[in-house]
Amino acid sequence: MAQSQTWTNTGIAELILLLEGGAASKLAKIVALNMATACTAAATSTFADPADTATHHTDGGLAIHAIDTVSHTTVNTTGDTITFDHVFTATATRNVAGIHVCNNDGDVTFIECCFNAVIPVENTDTITIDGQSTIDQA
Amino acid sequence: MEPINLRRYVRTSINSEHREGFCENCRTPTQKEFYMDGERQRVRMVCPKCDGLGRLISRSVSIQAPAPPKCLRPKCLIKFVREVFFCGLLSEYHRRRVIYAERHRHEKIPEKYRTGENSPLNIRQAIFAIVKLRLRR
Repeated sequence: MAQSQTWTNTGIAELILLLEGGAASKLAKIVALNMATACTAAATSTFADPADTATHHTDGGLAIHAIDTVSHTTVNTTGDTITFDHVFTATATRNVAGIHVCNNDGDVTFIECCFNAVIPVENTDTITIDGQSTIDQA
Repeated sequence: MEPINLRRYVRTSINSEHREGFCENCRTPTQKEFYMDGERQRVRMVCPKCDGLGRLISRSVSIQAPAPPKCLRPKCLIKFVREVFFCGLLSEYHRRRVIYAERHRHEKIPEKYRTGENSPLNIRQAIFAIVKLRLRR
């Protein structure tokens, strides 16, 4: 299966709440997904129920963290793209199947990504995430 | 024939690099460094002594699905089918490439399997690349 990534339905709802000025929070946290085999990202995934049988890592340097950098940039029209970078540093041997990009409260997943294949990390390994999402007019 | 209006959408791409936590030149533990890339703030792990990076183990890449056809002429539809087929083959190549690179993390293998660069550009190249990867253990 190819790498797959998608905005989740709950993430879109959170974004709409933000635009409305409702009780919502911004894109701010990231967590690695734990699964022995490759997963497939789905729009119906939620923070509590990630893709397939994946779960969130809770230790090993892969637990939920504040994203290192969140900024905006331009792809087609000025400021149409949100970008985020993060480095996970593993402190134990773990399997990483993908990531969840979450809100500040850590209860809503905006984006789910499942990698090309499961990445087995060892202690001190690093995984650098380079993500961007464009609201496209074309 | 009138062009078909396409649905507007949010396009997301995420790439990731799996590296060792030690500089490949001097074996010093790498540290987080923030820097600006145009208007974008970035982060990376670099060696505090020599600015080297950790040895690359594998790079996962985001493959975008082809855009829907813009007309219903056979030429447009055939082009779309070819693009979908190529996208499937390219995805399979990168899946196998990452698995191969991770399995041989401590061994010397061609760098293209770690970086994913010089990836196939057409259907024929993709089929050959997949067959070559299948022959490697």
